[in-house]
Amino acid sequence: MIKLDNVTKVYSTEVVAVRDASFDIPKSEFVFLVGPSGSGKSTLLRLLNKQEQPERGTIWVAGRSINDLAASKVPYLRRNIGNIFQDYKLLPNKTAFENVAFALEVIGRPKHVIRQQVPAVLELVGLAGKQDRFPHQLSGGEQQRVSIARAFVNRPLILLADEPTGNLDPQTSEGIMRLLDRINKTGTTVVMATHDQRIVNMMRRRVIQLDRGTIVRDQARGVYE
Amino acid sequence: MLNRLGYWLRETFASLRRNLTLTVAAVLTAAVSLLLLGVALLARQGVGNQLVQWKGGVQFIVFMKADASEDQIQSVRTALAESPQVDDGKTVYLDKPAAYQEFQRIFRDQKTIAESLTVNDIPPNFKVVPMTDDSDIIQAVGNQLLTKPGVIEVRFARDYVDRLQALSRMVGVVSIAMFVVLLFTAVVLIWNTIRTAMFARRREIEVMKLVGATNWFIRIPFMLEGLLHGLAGGLLAVAGLYGVNFLWKERVIPKIPDLAALQVSSSQFNLVVVLVLVVGMLVGAVGSAVAASRFLDV
Repeated sequence: MIKLDNVTKVYSTEVVAVRDASFDIPKSEFVFLVGPSGSGKSTLLRLLNKQEQPERGTIWVAGRSINDLAASKVPYLRRNIGNIFQDYKLLPNKTAFENVAFALEVIGRPKHVIRQQVPAVLELVGLAGKQDRFPHQLSGGEQQRVSIARAFVNRPLILLADEPTGNLDPQTSEGIMRLLDRINKTGTTVVMATHDQRIVNMMRRRVIQLDRGTIVRDQARGVYE
Repeated sequence: MLNRLGYWLRETFASLRRNLTLTVAAVLTAAVSLLLLGVALLARQGVGNQLVQWKGGVQFIVFMKADASEDQIQSVRTALAESPQVDDGKTVYLDKPAAYQEFQRIFRDQKTIAESLTVNDIPPNFKVVPMTDDSDIIQAVGNQLLTKPGVIEVRFARDYVDRLQALSRMVGVVSIAMFVVLLFTAVVLIWNTIRTAMFARRREIEVMKLVGATNWFIRIPFMLEGLLHGLAGGLLAVAGLYGVNFLWKERVIPKIPDLAALQVSSSQFNLVVVLVLVVGMLVGAVGSAVAASRFLDV
C-alpha cells in the first residue's frame, strides 16, 4: 500500500528531515512512527500525501509512484488518504455534521449521499446524537472523533494520524485508539506518528523508529523502547 | 453540479458580506475607472458623428440656398471645376435628396429635428476637396465662392474640424490615462480583497486541500467574487454613463445648436455599455483568478 525507497527530504542545506528512508507497508497494516520531536515523523506523513516533495528516492502509494504525480492529480490522491491531527483542524463555525459533510461537499458528492453517509460515520465514531454540536461544545476526545469521522467518511485506503492523542488524557486516548483499531480492521491502512509511549506499548503493532531523520528500528509487534 | 453551484454561490456572497469595506472600495474604484473609459469612447463616437460631413479631406462646404436655381448651382459647379486649387475628382455635389439623406443620418436620434424639415428645406451643397493644405489659399477660394449668387454660406473645416478634433483628442488622452491609472488601482484593490478573503478562509482552504478538493473548486468562489466586483463596478459606470449622456443631450446640446450632431446613437451607446461591462468583468475575474492561484499554491 505504501512503499518508500531511499527517500530523503531536505528542508535547508543543514536540516535533513528524512534521510534514506525505506520501508514497505502492506494493506491494512497498523504502523506507529515513533521518535522525539523533530525526528522527521510529521515530514514522513506529509511526504505521503504530497504536501512535501522528496529530494531523492521514490514513494509509492496504492501501487503508483507519486513522485511525478501532476499537481492536478494530487487532489485525487488525497481522496484516498484520510488525515487526522493533534489539533483536530475542525472548522469552528460548523457543527459536527457540517464539518464531516464539508469533506464530501468539496469533492462534489451529491446531497443525498452526504445525508446518508455523514450520520452513519458519526455513529461509527460514537457521536450519534451530537451531530448538531459545534466544536467548542464538544470535549477534546469528541472533537478528535469528529475529525476521524471526517477523515474516514470517504472510506480512504489509508489513514494518516499525526499525534492524534497528543492533546488527550490517557483514558480518552485509549478510546481514540480503539476507534482507530476498528477502522484498521475494516481494511484501512493506518500510519500514526506518536510519542505516546503507553499507547504504543499497549497496542503492540509494527513500530518504525526515527532519530534525526534516519530510521533506526523497524520492528513487528514492537514497543516504544 | 447543482450542488457545487450552490456551494460556490453561497461562499461567494458570504465572502462579499464579510469584506464589505474592501468590496465597496474595489467596486467604486472600478466604477469610476470604467465610467472614464465609457466617456472617452462616447466622446470619440460623438465627435465622429459630428464630423460625418467632413470625411475624405473635405476642407470647406459651399451651401446653396434651398431655393437656388439650376443656373446658380451650375455656375458654382463650373467655378469649382475651373479652379486649379480644387481637386475636381474628389469634390462632391450633394443635391437636395442626397443632402436630405445626410441630414437625416446626422440627426437620426433627434426625431423632432429630423422631421421638422422636408427635402425642399435642405440646402444642396458642394463638399470641396482642395489641391492644397495651405489654409490661406483655401480660405481665399472659399470666400470667392461666397460672392456667387445662390450661395448662402461657406463653412470651413479649419475652424471647426480642427478644434473639435483637438478637443476630442484631449478628452480621449486624459480620460484614457485616468482610466488606466484607476483600473490599475481597481485591480490592486480586487487583488487585496481576494487575498483578505482567502486569509479569512485559510482554515477551510487547508481542510479542502487535505480532503482532496481540486484547486479549481477552491478557486471558483474567489473568481466569482472578483467577477462580481467588476460587474458591479461596470453597472455603476453604466448608470453614470446614462446620466452623463442624458445631461449632455437634454441640457447641454439644446443650448449650443452647433453641437447638435455631437452625440451618439442609441446603438452606439449600447455598444459602449456592453464594452464597459465586459471590460469590468474581465478585469475582475482575471485579477482575482491570478490572486487566488498565487495565494492558493504558496
